[in-house]
Amino acid sequence: MNNVIVYVVDDDPSICRAVALLLKSNGFRVETFTQAEDFLSFKHSKAPSCLILDIRLPHINGFALQEIMAERGISIPIIFITGHGDIPMSVKAMKAGAVDFLPKPFTEKKLLDAMTLAISKSKVQNKKQIEITKIRDRIKTLSPRELEVFNFVAQGMLNKQIASKRGTSLQTIKVHRGRVMQKMQAKTVTELIHFAQKAGLTPLS
Amino acid sequence: MKNKIIKKKETRNNLEETIRNQTDELKSKTGQIKRGVDREKIAQEQILIRTKAMESTTDGIFIIDATKPGFPLIYTNPSFQSLIGYSKNEIIGKNYFLIYGSDADSRVVEEIKQTMSRGESFHGEMLNFRKSGKKFWSSLRITPVRDTKGETTHYVGIQTDTTLMKQRNLEIEEQREELLHVTRVGKLAEFVSSLAHEISQPLTAILAYAQAAQRLLKDKEPKVYEILQYIINDDQRAAEVIRRLRYLLKKSKPAFEPLDINVLINDTVTLIMPHIASRNKVIKFELDTTLPQIMGDRIQLQQVLLNLISNSLEAMEASSDSLELMIRTSRKDSDMIMVEVKDSGSGIAAENMQKLFVHFFTSKPDGLGMGLSISRSIVEAHGGRLEAENNSDRGANFYFTLPIKIKNSQ
Repeated sequence: MNNVIVYVVDDDPSICRAVALLLKSNGFRVETFTQAEDFLSFKHSKAPSCLILDIRLPHINGFALQEIMAERGISIPIIFITGHGDIPMSVKAMKAGAVDFLPKPFTEKKLLDAMTLAISKSKVQNKKQIEITKIRDRIKTLSPRELEVFNFVAQGMLNKQIASKRGTSLQTIKVHRGRVMQKMQAKTVTELIHFAQKAGLTPLS
Repeated sequence: MKNKIIKKKETRNNLEETIRNQTDELKSKTGQIKRGVDREKIAQEQILIRTKAMESTTDGIFIIDATKPGFPLIYTNPSFQSLIGYSKNEIIGKNYFLIYGSDADSRVVEEIKQTMSRGESFHGEMLNFRKSGKKFWSSLRITPVRDTKGETTHYVGIQTDTTLMKQRNLEIEEQREELLHVTRVGKLAEFVSSLAHEISQPLTAILAYAQAAQRLLKDKEPKVYEILQYIINDDQRAAEVIRRLRYLLKKSKPAFEPLDINVLINDTVTLIMPHIASRNKVIKFELDTTLPQIMGDRIQLQQVLLNLISNSLEAMEASSDSLELMIRTSRKDSDMIMVEVKDSGSGIAAENMQKLFVHFFTSKPDGLGMGLSISRSIVEAHGGRLEAENNSDRGANFYFTLPIKIKNSQ
């Protein structure tokens, strides 16, 4: 829990302070902000984290911040808090990927339960991110010819098809393919295709 | 002899004189007779025209003989007969008051009798019953007709069906009441919602502070820990009260239907027309009749219009030379229409411009500060925007947009 960081964005300074005290007493690292802009310009930690976000904020409100974060690829799980708890709003928030929606005032237990969920989501996301980085690093070691073969395989093409498309012998393709498997550290073709998907490799057209 | 001759001459002269006189008299008599005949002819023509006029008018006309007991009807025109549903034969010679039937308001009938017996005119609006028993509202005027001595010989009555007018007025009154009620409920709900938000903020902080303190003091200060628990319990009790209050005043979902904004504006203005006329103000319209329909909640949008119009009227109250209120509709772009309510009043003070739409902000001594904030949330719930600006010459312009109803959707 020590390395987890919790961000709190609420325009009411007393709520920021109170929630920070509560979370610090539970052993979390906490950063508070009274407006969305300050949160955005903050250098976010790579550690597992979550964001406790008020909906009604000056200038950029909670929903707008959620959108901006999605655009910028800031994948910190969000727990919305609001003094205007109504159902359509919470539906909107959850659809946009929020972890939970807590009407104010909320108890320590409710908040901690929601945070447990958010943090585990954050950890999964971080793990995924690390894996993607690893795959991308391996892709960088491929030669242009190997990368081409990798793309064809990712599209589900058979060796024969690749060979006729490239105008080379089946044997050559087999060699390239073996090297791709080795460099990408893939045990099976299925795993290799998964790697391609995770790396967001765009198929050659 | 000479005398005799003179006398004879005199006699002849006298005779001639007499004959001449008699001839003149005869001539003038003939003239008089001839003129008399002409006059009678003219009089008859006039009577004919007047009778025709009485027979063709759409107002009911009847004449009562005042010299006979029991107010017998001696004349009724066709409009009167169709108004009350009796034929001529059924009512001529009958007591006028009998045609009211037993369902008529006896107090009104008594009042008419009293007024007639005093020789005065009666004028009033009353509920009547046709022969079939069907109700109708009418405006009735009964006037005495006197002879040269001032004695009342007849009463002439004019009766007009006012049922449709009455119904229309009643409908307008009902709509106005409904709108006022919705506005009041809306204001209350908005008020409670704002209050709930304002109170839930400190309650959130109190709860978090108390629970943080509990965590820090756990196992060290059992007595203080217990007190903190009481604080937490009461904080949640207050939160529960707010939650229930909010549930109670939950806004009903807007009922969306296809609407013609121009029709809606006309309806709304009809509702407050007496208000406008009594303040000596004039509303001008520039309505784009080619606008497509929008999807909206009739009552809620009327609320917005009513709010903007009454704000404008209030802004023009102060100066007697600001008379004109302009309502304009136009196509903003391919997706939106725009409605503008433009007054020639005092305009918006620069320091108030930012706060106009904030809850509880008001520049009026008796205002609640809810009208514009509710209006804005209604327009936004419809997918539009409500904004305000000062006009370049004088007064303010409040304008809002609404999305056009898209075909094949909903």
